[in-house]
Amino acid sequence: MQLFFKVKQQPEPVVPNLGRITLSLLEGDPSTPFTIKQINDLPENIKRRVYRNLIPPVLLARFDIDPITWLGTNKEQRVFLSADSSSEKVFISARTSTSEDDEFFALELADNMLNGIELNLLLLNDPASSRYTIDKDEEGNPTMFGTVRRNLKAEAQAKEAGLAPGQIRNSLSASKLVLDQIDTFLATIGQRAYFLEPLTYASAWVFEKRGFAYVRGHKLMTTIHEEFQPGGALHKALDDSSPFRQQSQWDHVRGRAWAIHDGILDVLETNWDKLRMVKQVGKFANVNSFPNAIY
Amino acid sequence: MEISITKGTVDIISVNGSVDALTSPELVKVLNDHIHNGHPNIVVDFEKVEFMSSAGLRAILASVKEARTAGGDFRLAAPQPSIEKVLKMAGFHNIVKIYPTVSEAIASFG
Amino acid sequence: MAETQRQITLPAELEALPLFREHIKNACQDKAGLDAQSIYDVLLAVDEICTNIITHGYAGMDPGSIILNVEVSAQALIVTISDFGHAFEPVEPPTPNANASLEEREAGGLGLFFVFSSVDEINYESSPVGNTTRLIKNL
Repeated sequence: MQLFFKVKQQPEPVVPNLGRITLSLLEGDPSTPFTIKQINDLPENIKRRVYRNLIPPVLLARFDIDPITWLGTNKEQRVFLSADSSSEKVFISARTSTSEDDEFFALELADNMLNGIELNLLLLNDPASSRYTIDKDEEGNPTMFGTVRRNLKAEAQAKEAGLAPGQIRNSLSASKLVLDQIDTFLATIGQRAYFLEPLTYASAWVFEKRGFAYVRGHKLMTTIHEEFQPGGALHKALDDSSPFRQQSQWDHVRGRAWAIHDGILDVLETNWDKLRMVKQVGKFANVNSFPNAIY
Repeated sequence: MEISITKGTVDIISVNGSVDALTSPELVKVLNDHIHNGHPNIVVDFEKVEFMSSAGLRAILASVKEARTAGGDFRLAAPQPSIEKVLKMAGFHNIVKIYPTVSEAIASFG
Repeated sequence: MAETQRQITLPAELEALPLFREHIKNACQDKAGLDAQSIYDVLLAVDEICTNIITHGYAGMDPGSIILNVEVSAQALIVTISDFGHAFEPVEPPTPNANASLEEREAGGLGLFFVFSSVDEINYESSPVGNTTRLIKNL
């Protein structure tokens, strides 16, 4: 599953300067959480060891990538880490070849302003599936997953092929594996939870299934569900006026997600914004805003 | 929560269900509308109220004030033991007269 | 007696109040040692805490979730309420003046008074992860 989160404009983070991770800090209370910034300040090789925990080994093995060396069968680098010292972010990605086009995994975690952790980006693409150019408009300008601009032709094709909004390829079925790994990684560094802003209705639904609760937007999700029922305002707005407003879209996650991506929430005088979700490490909130949903 | 009104020498307003922060605004509205429609004396039958929170108490307080300002009064009848305990804990038995039965509550209006 | 633990997560809106009460009642069904008054006491305390979260905790925001967890054992009925809104530590208010006249009676403060009168222990923790209120009723 390709899951996108808005890469939002964050104000300058005010994470307290907890200092370098020293041996004495490591020997201290093992419950003390570490920040991404503190890990990024570690020597390269230690960082590498720590960040190996961000990718499930079995996912790398699927593509014949060595989980320790990060090399492919032809000894080329397949996993790429970006964790600059004094940065509060870590970005890690994996490819089936040297080409960025063959990226099947990408993840970015960052410290947030409240001493917590933010999942800014998670991509899981099936590199064997067709690619749809929803990420660039007809002039080649980036669309930011269709949030800033849209390539309507590519989106219509992607929708037809069964993708959700924001996806350029079909998903790799690994969200549970990857999210469980993130839980484990965070427990290792002493963090109890992480936050994200779901890019689409489809991503929010996936996160619900993976145990996330809402910091903001739970009521919006249940309202969306009610209003997509026959008789509801969103149901009525599915008037076949465009490929993204087909009547048949009301009863499944992807269909609703496309309509919302297309702006259907205008009818409720709101938009897809301001949702925020939280995952408590090891816990599952069991939110189910769309009971008996078909994806 | 359901509210029904039985007309008589004094009207009986029967409440069925729970009076909480969700439902109490409706209760206040019904009680106050009734008081202002020429019925400043009301008996509220609480026999079928199985849950009440502080929101319910605020509703009662507001309606008691309305009734007395309109020259009438408010009687509460037949609260279940748990509800009566809530009323006593908050000292409401000193503000509003509570009767074990509706007929006694009606009779108290003389 | 076997312990039961049950969780429900709902949006922080008033419509969730009766659903939370239903959830607690279901968790308490057929449990020996749980009398109707004890159950009511817990329902009341939970209702007041959730009402505060709904009306104040998520004020100014699109309401997020409230996670309710019920644990029933032979010794106690424990309800844990988690939310991700503004911190709102329950502080014991003064006892309402039972002898005050109608005009003098204040409408506020009653909710928390009921919480403190209805359960035996209240633990509140607030962190960047969220807020957790734990209510313990000894049986």
